[in-house]
Amino acid sequence: MTATATFPSIWPQLEPVLTSVRKPARYVGGEGNVVRKDHAETDSRWLLVYPDAYEVGQPNQGVQILYEVLNERPTTVAERGYAPWPDMEAVMRDQQIPFFSLENHLPLRAFDVVAFSLAAEVGYTNLLNCLDLGGIPLRAADRSAGDPVVMIGGHAAFNPEPLAPFVDVVCAGDGEEFVLEVDLVIKRGREQGWDRDRLLAEIGQVDGAYIPSWYEPEYNAPSGGDDTMGTLRGTFPRRSGAPYRVAKRTVSDLDSWPYPKRSIVPLTETVHERYSVEIFRGCTRGCRFCQAGMITRPVRERSAATVKQMVADGVANTGFEEVGLLSLSSADHSEILGMCGDLADSYEGTATSLSLPSTRVDAFNVTLADELARNGRRTGLTFAPEAGTERMRRVINKMVSEADMLRTAETAFANGWRHIKLYFMIGLPTETDEDVLGIAELGLKVLEIGRQHGRKNKVTVSVGGFVPKPHTPFQWAAQDSAEQIERKLDLIRRRVARDRNLNLRYHHGKPGVVEGLLARGDRRVAEVVQRAFALGARFDGWDEWFDYDTWMTAADEVGVDVAWFTRRERGEDEVFAWDHLDSGLEKDWLYSDWRDAVDDQAELEDCRWTPCYDCGVCPGLDLQHQTGHLPIFSAGTRPIP
Amino acid sequence: MRVRVRYRKQGRLRFVSAIDVGRLWERALRRADLPIAYSEGFSPHPKVSFTDALTLGYASTGEYAELTFAAPVELSRDIAALNAAFPEGMDVLTAVHTPDGAPRFSKALAASCWDVEYPVGAVLDHAVQQVASAATLVVPRERKGEAVDVDIRPAIADISADGPRVRVTVHHIDHLPDDVAVAIRPSEVDLALRRFQPDLAQPVLVTRLAQGRPGPDGLVEALSGELVEPLQTQRQTT
Repeated sequence: MTATATFPSIWPQLEPVLTSVRKPARYVGGEGNVVRKDHAETDSRWLLVYPDAYEVGQPNQGVQILYEVLNERPTTVAERGYAPWPDMEAVMRDQQIPFFSLENHLPLRAFDVVAFSLAAEVGYTNLLNCLDLGGIPLRAADRSAGDPVVMIGGHAAFNPEPLAPFVDVVCAGDGEEFVLEVDLVIKRGREQGWDRDRLLAEIGQVDGAYIPSWYEPEYNAPSGGDDTMGTLRGTFPRRSGAPYRVAKRTVSDLDSWPYPKRSIVPLTETVHERYSVEIFRGCTRGCRFCQAGMITRPVRERSAATVKQMVADGVANTGFEEVGLLSLSSADHSEILGMCGDLADSYEGTATSLSLPSTRVDAFNVTLADELARNGRRTGLTFAPEAGTERMRRVINKMVSEADMLRTAETAFANGWRHIKLYFMIGLPTETDEDVLGIAELGLKVLEIGRQHGRKNKVTVSVGGFVPKPHTPFQWAAQDSAEQIERKLDLIRRRVARDRNLNLRYHHGKPGVVEGLLARGDRRVAEVVQRAFALGARFDGWDEWFDYDTWMTAADEVGVDVAWFTRRERGEDEVFAWDHLDSGLEKDWLYSDWRDAVDDQAELEDCRWTPCYDCGVCPGLDLQHQTGHLPIFSAGTRPIP
Repeated sequence: MRVRVRYRKQGRLRFVSAIDVGRLWERALRRADLPIAYSEGFSPHPKVSFTDALTLGYASTGEYAELTFAAPVELSRDIAALNAAFPEGMDVLTAVHTPDGAPRFSKALAASCWDVEYPVGAVLDHAVQQVASAATLVVPRERKGEAVDVDIRPAIADISADGPRVRVTVHHIDHLPDDVAVAIRPSEVDLALRRFQPDLAQPVLVTRLAQGRPGPDGLVEALSGELVEPLQTQRQTT
């Protein structure tokens, strides 16, 4: 590590070019609640990067939490960076401005750790771009003493293999405790002048740390026919002391981690302008497609008292007009109604509004929404039935009956809501055209109910192609091709075309193919990422920048068969590229849940209020749900371990 | 209860757009817990009305706004709280209660005084003199996709220089006679200067100093009555 090198701020280079790029406020920092420290007074320096545009990345909770947790340590500094928009990248390359932080405008190389938060796969080329603009080698193997440690974390990092050659350290699971422990290692390393190998060896001792360079994948020979690539034989430790599997980190008591306390208040518009607080982490609804719900188990609630205190402080020190109560299924908090009622009481008559994203489909949620909208605004309510028919919903374990949906719509429109948004997926396992058309039918039925309450009431049906994700029961599934997705979209489009009050929104099929390749790719796919980056791929989550042909060309050039990774249903015994990252879920349980889904359309209840079904997480992590829901284990139905 | 303020927008905040500045005001007012009045209607907004928008990238110590409060405020205390809630680079410099029956704020903001700073070493005395003594200054402009010629000279109330710094006071469009009414930007003054000094480098910083009424000795600032005088060097040479 270079403990002594000092780097000047790049601000003098940046300032004169700012008026030549779009939305320059994205690059200036200086936001409310920002923390600026003199690096000379610190002994470890973190650059937290969200590899997407500022307006998307700035509101991210993960970065905000780690930013505060690290900066609360007086001798540690954490700054933030975001992917430069392509016009800015061009200017930076032309003027030789390196990738920089927003707080002190220091180059990437001024930091000991560069940690990327990966919410989604589509940030991978931006990640490479940030490293490249930062002037460090893209490949971990080419880095040396003066280069920062490159780290990734977040949901997408649960299959880090498509990024394995580029990163030094992967954080599996919750980051709060992990970064603080790594930070201590960094400090010791600087103090004692460790070389890079020693430093990584010590970081590798931190629970939840996966060091990709310590492992090597082996592949079976292609078996012919459709098996063009050859399956994985395994990912094997090549260094003594490297564990066969790396278990994820789990923060067990959210009340002792009440972050964010002082959310950064942006100077320019972002996608979510609100003070957000997680009311619980984890979800056991058991939706089989949902990676977030699988990898974040068990459920850990934050108490209503803590939430209320965080909201009161958060609103006071940010000035935000809106409060978001976040989680994967917010209405499932055991104290939700009281919590929402109390908050609504506190803010009644003020300009502060409350929102509850991610709610399930039932009338209770309309009650909650009514409570939160006491100030009068009843615009839109969003629900995610996810599939169009009851059969399809049983397959994905989204336990919503059509009657539920229609009753919910009835309640919502009757209570004065004017617009209902419905989210769906197509391309789900076992899907038929009838299931696809069911989406249109359900949308039209909801609209019909809306009409009875007001001529101008609207329904938006939003449709996206399903992408199978690691660590889910659907990780064995074949993904639809882009053409199949387009054909199904067309079925829906034709069915709803004639109705003006039904607004259809959808995602095209091609971006999903690349997302699928990256989601379930192995280390061979890393070559595609690097090649696509070299060919100019950036901002792959943005329609205006995403270029399918670039990715297909890149895959061709490095000999990766995209269809083999996306279109192929996996066999029971197939070894996955992410098997050595332990999310706590038993692979056997995932497989039996997968078979239950496709063979029997069998549903699985939520284990917060029904007996444990042995997904493996709680005993594996020596944890339990932390909720106020009454435990039902006393009924004696739980198998004795 | 209405209050008129003069505020500054400098440093990094130069790169924050006019729309975003509106949001910064909203949040600072909420953080400072001031009793700002809200508009009626479906989506209520705090009653803050801004005068003309500053071009992105320009600094200013002469931005103005009028605030409507739902309850009385104590100016010195509450403005200090507001300033503490603003991000670095933004502060209210002067605040006065709007007298009953006062004419619209824009009536008092007849002109803007700008400083245009060129790189150290630049000397603009000659070019400034040429601009000052020109009868007409025609610059090209695009209007609805077509190139038109516009005479900006009538809008220039005063221009002076001191080494690399140029100070120019321009009339606002609604304070000019109809036949010569044109809204001009500092960039067009720069264009005019460039005509007499073609090798001129780009300005480093453009700052709006203040707004108010142009007088014989300089610009009389709208809220405080302070005089913003022309730069001395040039005055001595003319």
